[in-house]
Amino acid sequence: MRRPCATCLLTALTLFAGACEDSNAPGNGLALTAIAIPPTYGIHDTYVRDGIAFVCAWNDGVRIYDVGNGVRGGTPSLPVLVSRLKSPGWGRAHNAWWFHNPNTSERRYLFVGEEGPSSGIGSSSGDIHVLDVSDLGNPTDVATFRVPGAGTHNFWMDESAQILYAAYYNAGVLALDVSGPLSGTLDAARGVSVQPGGAGNTFTWGVQLATNGWLYAIDMLSGLWQLAPGASPAVQPGGGNNVPERYSSDLWVHGEYAFTGTWGHRSTQYGNAVKIWHLEAGGAPVLVDSIVLPGVGTVSDVEVSPDGNVLMFSAENGSASGVYWYDLNVDPAHPVLLLHDPVDAGVHTATFATIDGRLYAFAARNPSYPALLIYDVTQLLTP
Amino acid sequence: MRLLGAACAALVPWAAVAAQGARPSARLDGSAVAALTAAGPVPAGGGMATELRIVHPVLMLRAGTAAGRLELVATVDFDGWTIPNGELAPGMWGEGFVDRRHPHTFAHELMLVAHVPAGGTRMTLAAGRGFVPFGTDDPMGRPPVRYPVNHHLSQILERAVAIVALDRGSLRVEGALFGGDEPQSPGQWPRLDRFGDSWAARLTVRPTLRPGAGLELQASHARVHSPEHREGSGLDQVKWSASARWTGRLGRAPGYALAEWARTSEDRGTFVYHTILVEGALESGRHRPYARIETTERPEEQRAGRYRTVRPLLDDAILGVTRWTIVTVGYGLDLAWGRLRLRPFAEGSLGRIANVRGGFDPAGYYGGTATGTATLGLRVATMPAEHRMGRYADHLEQHDHH
Repeated sequence: MRRPCATCLLTALTLFAGACEDSNAPGNGLALTAIAIPPTYGIHDTYVRDGIAFVCAWNDGVRIYDVGNGVRGGTPSLPVLVSRLKSPGWGRAHNAWWFHNPNTSERRYLFVGEEGPSSGIGSSSGDIHVLDVSDLGNPTDVATFRVPGAGTHNFWMDESAQILYAAYYNAGVLALDVSGPLSGTLDAARGVSVQPGGAGNTFTWGVQLATNGWLYAIDMLSGLWQLAPGASPAVQPGGGNNVPERYSSDLWVHGEYAFTGTWGHRSTQYGNAVKIWHLEAGGAPVLVDSIVLPGVGTVSDVEVSPDGNVLMFSAENGSASGVYWYDLNVDPAHPVLLLHDPVDAGVHTATFATIDGRLYAFAARNPSYPALLIYDVTQLLTP
Repeated sequence: MRLLGAACAALVPWAAVAAQGARPSARLDGSAVAALTAAGPVPAGGGMATELRIVHPVLMLRAGTAAGRLELVATVDFDGWTIPNGELAPGMWGEGFVDRRHPHTFAHELMLVAHVPAGGTRMTLAAGRGFVPFGTDDPMGRPPVRYPVNHHLSQILERAVAIVALDRGSLRVEGALFGGDEPQSPGQWPRLDRFGDSWAARLTVRPTLRPGAGLELQASHARVHSPEHREGSGLDQVKWSASARWTGRLGRAPGYALAEWARTSEDRGTFVYHTILVEGALESGRHRPYARIETTERPEEQRAGRYRTVRPLLDDAILGVTRWTIVTVGYGLDLAWGRLRLRPFAEGSLGRIANVRGGFDPAGYYGGTATGTATLGLRVATMPAEHRMGRYADHLEQHDHH
């Protein structure tokens, strides 16, 4: 099915933006609201599922919002704070995953990544914290997992296998057995890690279990890797050491394509690129195109809409910071710009969520005025 | 126009606005430096950059009551107008700038000082915005025009601070409570709600019993809460400094020398930075040769452009630590025009950048590990080029111009 040209859509959205401008939210017509977050370090990541948004607000802890679940009557345009956990024992809440266990039907555990200080790309710190969110209004700290000398970053889960995959910076990719009750300090035997790029060439940002059955890991130093999933992830040939000019950042895999961001500055190159990869029959990634954005310093989060039609990424540290949406419908190998919502302070992360049949984007605006920006992007999908 | 205004303001013969010797007393001074600087390597590509700037444009007021018990110390710094984007200075870092010296705040100092004699001990109370009693003298009042890389390891300034100083014989003990937040822009004031979240103490020994002359030894310690995150969520710093400062004569020529060591530890030792610096100057007639050597470690932060780092901070990560070893030599010629002191000068620096730890590759980023700076300039002032700042326990008449 052909979709309207990006320029037409952009023009329409821009006109619509003029009619719907809201002083509390970006004026692009998609924005619904902006929820202010205390100006500690702002939001790092947001996990949305079943109409509940878990906002990881660094020193301010994990904030749980009803954005359409109904538990507090919240909606995407009027989120309601359900609770907030600011644990005295740890801070720097970075990312989260709400575990829906299909084996037990439990929705008990929220895994939270703590991002501690890292002294250069080579060492890091920060633990995985397990919160019991059986009562969303009263989350409690129940367990911790630590890898000495390394810190955790983004998660993915194989929920039926009850395995939490955690990018673990210099420790690579960690597979953590999260079956059964979780409490106290989780036994180190529950976790096995692999350094895709080897020692000194591994600083893994993110990991994703793709629908093709392979596990993909994006490593800041050594690029996009293909791994065999399981309790002991194994590196597959054909991937890795494929982004030498930039530090890589986030990844998203959808169908036959993977999309990866870039970060900071490596040598003379800034993190202003989104890499587009075709996944070959055996799952190996092959670079097919790049989106390079002048005025962007880091592309820090990448995601594809559930139907595969829209690529979204967040950009920061430059004059062209903000949220970008690209059309993948015509040719996923060569995305076409749909819309850019400029946000001067930059946007650190952005994630899609489907609520009551509509598609929303939740984006983290950076300090000095950090906020959770919520967009209704359903119209971007409309043919 | 603002730049021109600031330059003109500094060129006006301000000296002798003061009523020296009379009490109540006041002294208003001004100073500015016109500097043509070529420096390299330019970040992210290498090569040299050349700029003509007015730097260190300041007006300084020091006024005292009739009994000399109460003093007002105020320094207005016009960096925010003349170098809003900083001054070329490879290696320099801090307050969101890198490889450029950041502009200081307009209200550089605004301190009320009370001197209270108590037998053989003299107590000084000072409060306002100004220098924390930690480390060595502000680089603005030292012989080289180029700022040392170690500025943020060796001094703490522009803070909301309350100081108690006790002088007895050759000994001075200073203690301070202050707000850890460092400024983020020239027009910014300290957050009052941060006042008292940090402290510092300095012990100074002056064996000659003559303030400002002879040998001066100091050791100081500070605990600074979240200096780089204004709202207070950043990493804490533990700082140490020790130095020996000498002023006197080498033969018939007045001389000055300083040797300092400092260490800053962040997040209970996650990041540690060291510095050693030695500098000296001579006055031979009108001739003012000087030199400095320093080796200083600095954090390599994620950049937002060539000369800026990401601010406000988003996390507690750095790319690595580099060491900058820089030798600076300079020569100035002291001239006078009416009450104005003029000092044309030439100054050059050569240095090396080394990776200490982490993933930052200086050779890849700068196109090499050698660094160099050359400056031709003219300092215009109503007071001596070298002047100590932030020594609030010194009486007005003792304020040391070495």
